[in-house]
Amino acid sequence: MDVFILLLEGIFVSFEPLNLGLLVFGCLIGLFVGAMPGLGSVNGVAILIPITFIIPPTAAIIFLAAVYYGAMYGGAISSVMLGIPGASTAVATVFDGRPLAVKGEAMTALTAAAVGSFVGGTVSVILFTLFAPPLAEVALRFNAPETFALMVMAFATFVGLGGDDVPKTIFSILIGLALSTIGLDLITGKPRLIFFNIPGFLHGINFLVLAIGIYGIGEMLWTLEETKGKVQMSKLSVNMKEVGRAFGALKKTIMAMNIGSFLGFFVGILPAAGATPASLMSYGITKQLSKNSKEFGSGVPAGVVAPECANNSASTGSMLPMLTLGIPGSPTTAILLGGMILWGLTPGPLLFTQEPEFVWGLIGSLYIANFFTLVLNIALIPAFLMVLRIPFAILAPVIFVLCVTGGYAPTQSLHDVWLMLLFGFAGYILRKLDYPVAPAVLSIVLGPLAEKALRQSLILSDGSMGIFFDMAEKPIAAIIMYIAIVLLIMPAFGPLYKKFFKKAQTT
Amino acid sequence: MSIIKKLALVIVSLSLVAVSSVSSAKPFSPKKPIELIIPAGQGGGADEIARLVQGVIEKNDYASKPVIPINKKGGSGGEAMTYVKKKAGDEHTLIITLNNVLTTPVNQPELGIDFFNDFTPLARLITDTFLVWIATEGKNTQGVETFDDFIALAKGNGLVMGGTGSMSEDELLLGMMRGQFGFDAKYVPYDGGGAVAKGLVGGESDFTLNNPSEQMGFYQSGDSKALVMMTPERNPAFPEVPSSYELGYPDLEYYMMRAFMAPAGVDAEVEKYYTGLLHTVYHDDEFQTFNIDDGKLMSWLEGFGLKDFLAIEYAKHGEIIKNFD
Repeated sequence: MDVFILLLEGIFVSFEPLNLGLLVFGCLIGLFVGAMPGLGSVNGVAILIPITFIIPPTAAIIFLAAVYYGAMYGGAISSVMLGIPGASTAVATVFDGRPLAVKGEAMTALTAAAVGSFVGGTVSVILFTLFAPPLAEVALRFNAPETFALMVMAFATFVGLGGDDVPKTIFSILIGLALSTIGLDLITGKPRLIFFNIPGFLHGINFLVLAIGIYGIGEMLWTLEETKGKVQMSKLSVNMKEVGRAFGALKKTIMAMNIGSFLGFFVGILPAAGATPASLMSYGITKQLSKNSKEFGSGVPAGVVAPECANNSASTGSMLPMLTLGIPGSPTTAILLGGMILWGLTPGPLLFTQEPEFVWGLIGSLYIANFFTLVLNIALIPAFLMVLRIPFAILAPVIFVLCVTGGYAPTQSLHDVWLMLLFGFAGYILRKLDYPVAPAVLSIVLGPLAEKALRQSLILSDGSMGIFFDMAEKPIAAIIMYIAIVLLIMPAFGPLYKKFFKKAQTT
Repeated sequence: MSIIKKLALVIVSLSLVAVSSVSSAKPFSPKKPIELIIPAGQGGGADEIARLVQGVIEKNDYASKPVIPINKKGGSGGEAMTYVKKKAGDEHTLIITLNNVLTTPVNQPELGIDFFNDFTPLARLITDTFLVWIATEGKNTQGVETFDDFIALAKGNGLVMGGTGSMSEDELLLGMMRGQFGFDAKYVPYDGGGAVAKGLVGGESDFTLNNPSEQMGFYQSGDSKALVMMTPERNPAFPEVPSSYELGYPDLEYYMMRAFMAPAGVDAEVEKYYTGLLHTVYHDDEFQTFNIDDGKLMSWLEGFGLKDFLAIEYAKHGEIIKNFD
């Protein structure tokens, strides 16, 4: 019962005028930061940190958490409307959000994104409220072998992601993995694959550069070819019938909401993973488990709900290790953590008891921020839809400019802009040749995480792969690993199984 | 007028211009935003200090133009150093140092960075030190109460040490300790000091060499304990942890410096301006309080003292790296 009293106090704290004002302001900034390609919550929060020195810590964290939160919603907007992922966390939203918009169902996509985000955010903040201390214990026990097992599971779901053409999918995964090895060797600290000694390669291939290139530039070229510069969707209307249809479509996304909320939260509380892998994994698993998994990628609401639900859920989840263990659960919380230290707080197991106003003020504000962003997003949908009435000949240069700034923003290096353009062109060609590009994008995110966890585990086990299958010593890793293997071979046996099953029925 | 006279006139007037421009040189002040390059990712120790400095400057209007921190984490600082090297003579670029500025030029000769000629050292603000940490409930370190207990245990058994990545400060330190005490450990790299601290308490590693702030949370909650601090004196933030000098190991001394440098080839006026700016930040109450509470050592150093310090540290790191291979 204690928890509820504390939570109530927290909600009161976030209703104080300064805190509430900053919350609303933070959500708005977050929406903008999320929707602007390349900016994203990491940069947004980093830019705003110095401002927070002049306000009390509780107000500061409420403000920055609202920015973080708003960015999770905002990312979906440009993903759906322009086909450019607004932030790395919204890349998976492009997969189905964009096709929905192209079909003339942008309304459905945006509604699904907003409601999905709300559900994910709410479920996770409730989990957070009720189970924070025991979950911190889980995060503490989740080490290198467990992380690698989880990554294998994620990759297993990707194989089913590219459609029926498994060889082309694997090719795409391998391209992504190869690109992800450029930069710094994670273990020896030496640079590797620095082509022509260009210093820009030292920081590796930023995942957003690939995603913006493939989806932003590639999509722009593709749409230009299709529409010849005319208006994309002329018969777009916003009326009650449309609204009803949009909400009706949500009925089919219950499973995606469940997967997104719980998986997102779980991945979020694991150190160093964060909302981007969570959204991608949620998409992959939802697709794998869905009855109509073949339709994913051609515009189904569940394909929007799954990643959007997961990224909000994960962003809340990633605050748990930040507060209780002092380790970041995502790149954005890494910056928030730095902020907390600068405000004079010591993150760690004692924070909940030493600074209850701060912790519960933050948790309380998440409930309110969630509600507020939902209302804001639904209210703004008509405004967002106006974008689609603009002739593509005008929109294309705008998208191009946004892509270039988006490629430049994360690392502030022109090298990445050239890379982005190169990927855009390559993405367009791959699409012409009917190669799935989503698996490549996924592997460049998870590749470094998987590599690091694998190599850490192998150092610990003196090179034995047995560390991943040791039921006695590392049960969590072993169980995840076995599930991953089943997931990996399931698509291969699926058709056989069906054939056999049908035969058995007819005879 | 003859040609010679004309020439003489030109020379005289030119030299007059030169003299007047020297004598009336206005003190430098930035004309556009100042880029502060961080050779590490967001959320690390250097990033934290860089953003604190930025915040203090902005809050008190210490500078006429804003400071913009930019993270260039690639290649163990190699990307950042290459960037600053190319900016030679640029009056609006600064870099905050980790110790990787001392090791990367040696480890990655292909970058062609000359530590002593590619940068203009301005000031050192803080030094941070390291402690040897074990988990209170560590399954392989039960019964270890003192640093000597630890050495005895570590000699016989291959303990696992969590660290922040290859050729980072703590791996160099492990190399140093290997030479001094004759024990070795299995080194597992993690993403940053926070993850290292968590790996220790989570039972994946047996000991770590974290700096004070990275273990502060677990230290306060009693989940981890420190055996020795690698400095001549005890630190007020950890009153019961002995210094290496007390224990009779004066060679076990190591610092991480937070200094600022400008690119090579900037004017003396520019150097003076930024050193002055950093000095103002250094004496800011908020800056002082934060760092002292966090267990850091306030250690201002500039000019020749700083150059000597850098030369000594550079040589020391070169020595450690040589013994490594």
